[in-house]
Amino acid sequence: MPETFPHNAGYMVAAYTVAAVILVAYAVSLYRRTRNL
Amino acid sequence: MTLAQKGRWTTLVGLVLLAAVYVRALAFTPIERTQGPAQKIYYIHVPAAIWTETAMILVGVASIFFLFLKDARLDSFAEASAEVGTAFATIVLTTGPIWGKPIWGTWWTWDARLTSTLFLFFLYIGYLLLRGAVADPGARARYAAVLGICGMVLVPFIHFSVYLFRTLHPMPIILKPSAPALPGSMLATWSVSFAVFTVLYVGFVMQRYALARARQEVPHA
Amino acid sequence: MLERLKLAWVVARKDLLLEFRTRTAILSAVVFTALVLTVFNFGRDPTAVPTIDLAPSILWVTFTFAAMLALNRAFALELENHALEGLLVSPLSRTSLYWGKLIANLLFVTIVEAVGLPLFVLFFDVPVWHVLLPLVGVIALATVGFVAVGTLFSAMVIRTRFAELMLPVLLLPFLIPPLVGAVQVTARLLSGRPASEVVGWLRLLGAYDIVFVTLSTLLFPHTVDE
Repeated sequence: MPETFPHNAGYMVAAYTVAAVILVAYAVSLYRRTRNL
Repeated sequence: MTLAQKGRWTTLVGLVLLAAVYVRALAFTPIERTQGPAQKIYYIHVPAAIWTETAMILVGVASIFFLFLKDARLDSFAEASAEVGTAFATIVLTTGPIWGKPIWGTWWTWDARLTSTLFLFFLYIGYLLLRGAVADPGARARYAAVLGICGMVLVPFIHFSVYLFRTLHPMPIILKPSAPALPGSMLATWSVSFAVFTVLYVGFVMQRYALARARQEVPHA
Repeated sequence: MLERLKLAWVVARKDLLLEFRTRTAILSAVVFTALVLTVFNFGRDPTAVPTIDLAPSILWVTFTFAAMLALNRAFALELENHALEGLLVSPLSRTSLYWGKLIANLLFVTIVEAVGLPLFVLFFDVPVWHVLLPLVGVIALATVGFVAVGTLFSAMVIRTRFAELMLPVLLLPFLIPPLVGAVQVTARLLSGRPASEVVGWLRLLGAYDIVFVTLSTLLFPHTVDE
């Protein structure tokens, strides 16, 4: 039986990308600020 | 290893595990039939939301202990938890609308989680702004603690307001899987994601705390 | 307890006397309220949206602005001539100081609301007589809530840079539960809904007041002491 679901994978990719960008950006920011510690 | 270094390693581990969660969620978790692939945003959105709120509660608890014990480390922890909480709030407030648009047809919905997180975000911003606006370190710590405690106490009131508002203004019914009702594979993905966000919170806070403590040693102008 | 209240009233009286000698703040708040109500009137199309739908929100936005004006001046008086230090070295308890400020702010805001409500009824042709008592009740409940928190925050904000900007920023999330409750109850009162619908909101307002007045009283000393 064919799977019928809405084709909104674009949104999924967008959200996952945004979340990853925020987390990595924050990690980098912390790294740069605490580099000497 | 210094605390900051341990924090960096913890964060690195967290990010690597996050990549694994991404793979699992995107490729190895079934697609939800009614919502489609966009439903998978849930695995990132909800753990981030839980930690946004938990971070605020921790700010409040640390603030209470700080006012009694006057230990500067508690103030540094509150400062760290607030900044990390803000980062997580940003994730919730960006992934939320991206999820909402295909599902609800509109970018913003005043649903319980999004609304609560929005107000948590305002609380965080206020807290960070207050810290930045007070010159004297002693006053800064005390004022931040006062605000932190008020913020923590406000959280249940916001929940209750949203709950009251929603029971009297029913939203259009959209199938949204809630945590206990998730079938096995989805529940596993969600749980792993939550664990990873926990690791990231810890790693971030360790570094930010180390930074706050370092600044206390050498007060900058 | 009674002693504390008496001392609080002394503080409040001082503030109010100072205020009424100059009368500038109260006048500007009243004028401001009338102005806001007028602007709202020109911003709407009465044929498109019935007044009664917008009325509660308009009323409460106006009252909130007025409260902000009151709170901004709350500790400004003391900053001049280091009067605050004088108050603090006196035997006056911190609780009395907070309660004094709270009472003064409440009276100030109440006066503005007492002028604003009739203006609102007049400008927007809203029938309130049949629900006047419950309406006044909910106005009182909500006002106590945000003035209590606002008084606490104004003590902190006064020593920051950009004090007038900081206060609304900090206060915003704390205004939500009392404002949402107040608007919801006002809307139901004005449209003649049964009392049972507002019970939940009234409980929220009441609980908020009790919790935050207590919390603010407990936390206030930390905003003025070392």
